[in-house]
Amino acid sequence: MARDWQPDFEQLVDNHQSMVFSLALRMTSDRGLAEEIAQDVFLELDRHLGKIESPAHACFWLRRVAMSRSADALRRRKVRGLHLWVKINEHHGLQLEPRTSPLGGRLEALLATLPESQRAALVLRYQEDLTPEEIAATLNAPLATVKSNLQRGLKLLRAKAAIHLKEFVREKEYARGV
Amino acid sequence: MDEFEQELRQAFKRQPAPPGLKNRILQRRRIVAPRPSFPLFAWNRLAASFASLSLCILAALAIYGGYEQRQAEQRRKAEDVRQQVMTALRITNHALNHMNQQLAAHHRVRQESREN
Repeated sequence: MARDWQPDFEQLVDNHQSMVFSLALRMTSDRGLAEEIAQDVFLELDRHLGKIESPAHACFWLRRVAMSRSADALRRRKVRGLHLWVKINEHHGLQLEPRTSPLGGRLEALLATLPESQRAALVLRYQEDLTPEEIAATLNAPLATVKSNLQRGLKLLRAKAAIHLKEFVREKEYARGV
Repeated sequence: MDEFEQELRQAFKRQPAPPGLKNRILQRRRIVAPRPSFPLFAWNRLAASFASLSLCILAALAIYGGYEQRQAEQRRKAEDVRQQVMTALRITNHALNHMNQQLAAHHRVRQESREN
């Protein structure tokens, strides 16, 4: 079957490396592991390049495999808790990208404490701007489960933010000498 | 979408990929060994299958040969034993005949002495 679109591997890497890396980073909270996952995902894409039918299919495929590989990596590794994560972050600055705002960094740290399924749904919703139907297709999960994970994840994140971000604002005000 | 969700969307913007990620991916892509073309691959598989089959046949022949040799050895030993038993029976038979003749002679002598 002839196709109008021919996949260009290097172009696909250029276009989607940020997306794949960010998905892996937000799922694992580990830059080194996220880069390793991103490399593996693109090498797998190279092996399946003949099956990719369109740019949208490539994007969907990359999201799906990135989430799947991240889940595999999380299963292999024991996820560290919020306090250790924040401590390492504050003392060594390993996890956060310099351009990330302190508030954004706190939200990312709180995201890392959510259960994996809720985190996956929230990342796809707010990073990739996907609808619940698209998230369900990406994660190969029932729509009702995805909606439930989104609601619960958002509620939990809101509750955690209400506690932690108040402390953050107080710390900032204290630092300013208010 | 409320203010908190807007904040999340801002916080969860895509992060830029680490510098050099693309180069590292392309480097790993080059390192991956090229797959052999189908005919060579097929021939290799065929040769491997043939070698395995030959080894299996050789092993089966060796086992069968060993079994046959052992059977022949047992048959030869059994024949030797049979010969020894037959020899022993012949000797016994000969001895019994001899004894029988002596008894008959003895009996005849006693009868003649009684008649006289």
